[in-house]
Amino acid sequence: MNDKTGELSGRGHIEIDGLTKTYASDAGDITALERIDFDIAPREFVGIVGPSGCGKSTLLRCVGGLIAPSVGEVRIGGDVVIEPDPRIGYVFQQAVLLPWRRVLDNVMLPFEISGRPTAENRAKALEVLEMVGLSEYLNHRPGELSGGMQQRVSVARALVVEPSILLMDEPFGALDAQTRDSMNVELLRIWYESQTTVVFVTHDIGEALFLSDRVMVMSVRPGRVQDVIDVDLPRPRTFTEVEADERFWTLRQRIREQLN
Amino acid sequence: MRRLLRALRSEAWLGRLLVIVSAVVLIVVWHFWARTNSPLILPEPGPVLERLLDYVGSGRANPHIWITVQEIILGFALGGIAGIGLGTLASEFGIARRVIMPYVIVTQALPKFALAPILVIWFGFGMTPKVIIAALIAFFPLLENTYLGLTTAPAEMLELFRALRAGRWTTLTKCKALHAVPAVFSGLRVALMLALVGAVVAEYVGANKGLGALIIVSQGTLDTELMFVAFVQLTVLGLLLDQAHGLVYRLVMRRLYGSVGAEMRAAGVSV
Repeated sequence: MNDKTGELSGRGHIEIDGLTKTYASDAGDITALERIDFDIAPREFVGIVGPSGCGKSTLLRCVGGLIAPSVGEVRIGGDVVIEPDPRIGYVFQQAVLLPWRRVLDNVMLPFEISGRPTAENRAKALEVLEMVGLSEYLNHRPGELSGGMQQRVSVARALVVEPSILLMDEPFGALDAQTRDSMNVELLRIWYESQTTVVFVTHDIGEALFLSDRVMVMSVRPGRVQDVIDVDLPRPRTFTEVEADERFWTLRQRIREQLN
Repeated sequence: MRRLLRALRSEAWLGRLLVIVSAVVLIVVWHFWARTNSPLILPEPGPVLERLLDYVGSGRANPHIWITVQEIILGFALGGIAGIGLGTLASEFGIARRVIMPYVIVTQALPKFALAPILVIWFGFGMTPKVIIAALIAFFPLLENTYLGLTTAPAEMLELFRALRAGRWTTLTKCKALHAVPAVFSGLRVALMLALVGAVVAEYVGANKGLGALIIVSQGTLDTELMFVAFVQLTVLGLLLDQAHGLVYRLVMRRLYGSVGAEMRAAGVSV
């Protein structure tokens, strides 16, 4: 491997070290996350599942530098995270597109904010929009797109800065089952092409298993790592193959039991 | 005939028809009611119209209209700029909000028209006191709506901007300000109408020109017909200002959201 890829892979390395997050409330402190230790390798696809309110999103926000841990730290490529990191792309549960901007302008937003709306970056934006299959919708406004297409724009916006880490917070949770399946297949293709580390929060066990190399199962509040499951299903994966595989159902059963 | 009936069934057409019919009925009622009264109390619509055409046609109305329009526009602009500016400051900086809001509440509690006499003593019978009154009244709806529009940007959008490491200024200009556009425009509309009221009422207190001054003069000379002419002119002026506002608003919304999105937003559908 040459130096560049070596450096890139280092950047995608996430270390979560003794992370605890408490919130003050009238009824006293609430512990959302308790002593999370977890290491995510560069280019790994990690799914996080857990009951609602277990702190999945809080954990993702800590990794993304949107909120600060109460105890412990998160390191990315060895650097302690203290604020949002330019190497991270974020995809939220809602597409969060700016309704007054056209599709292309929404994808250019990260460059405009960082003050680099150059022609070269515009070409990148066109490229990622091609990758998510929206080349024909560059000049549409978000309000004219379906939910699935909006979420693809938001994926494109996260990818356009070529992040080494993609944090996804139930990104397809609001979509119908069919759209979600096709988005999942596309996501795996994009992940394979872009070589980023992906942390994917979901409440859908099947989705987590289909996508991930490893699945972190979290316990109900206070959120702890209850189990870590290696998903040794061969890649590239298709729904038909995965669902025909005995191991998928065994793992699914195992996670389901832990969540109950 | 059947076509006509079907057109009538559509609410938009029926609405228009009812407006026209009721307006005609009102004018007819006015006409007959006026006949039972002295023209000093209530002039008939016909003579009012004749007087209006003559008054406007001869150009004698122009100086009055022009003065009032200037007062409205200047007051609206000054009050608007101050309202939008202070509203923005209050929404962005907690300390600004703490300092500005008590003053705003106190000045709102004070009826602005009550200030007109002292403003006339200070600034004379010219345009200045009217512009100040119009500005003071136009100020509040814009301060409030700007503040509201800027502070109600969706939390997810703000989190996105934070994740993209946008600074305060970028977040304000690329997110909050655009989100606030509809709220600011509804504030502008109210402010425009209030500026008109402010200018006219301030003219009542002491002015030699302007539509409000014209009303006071016609009161003094018992020229009720002329008073009605001024009412009609003020109404038309108000309508024109409101139409101008609507036109600009639609243009801005279309530019921001495209024709489809703008229409949906106007209809209250959130997209």
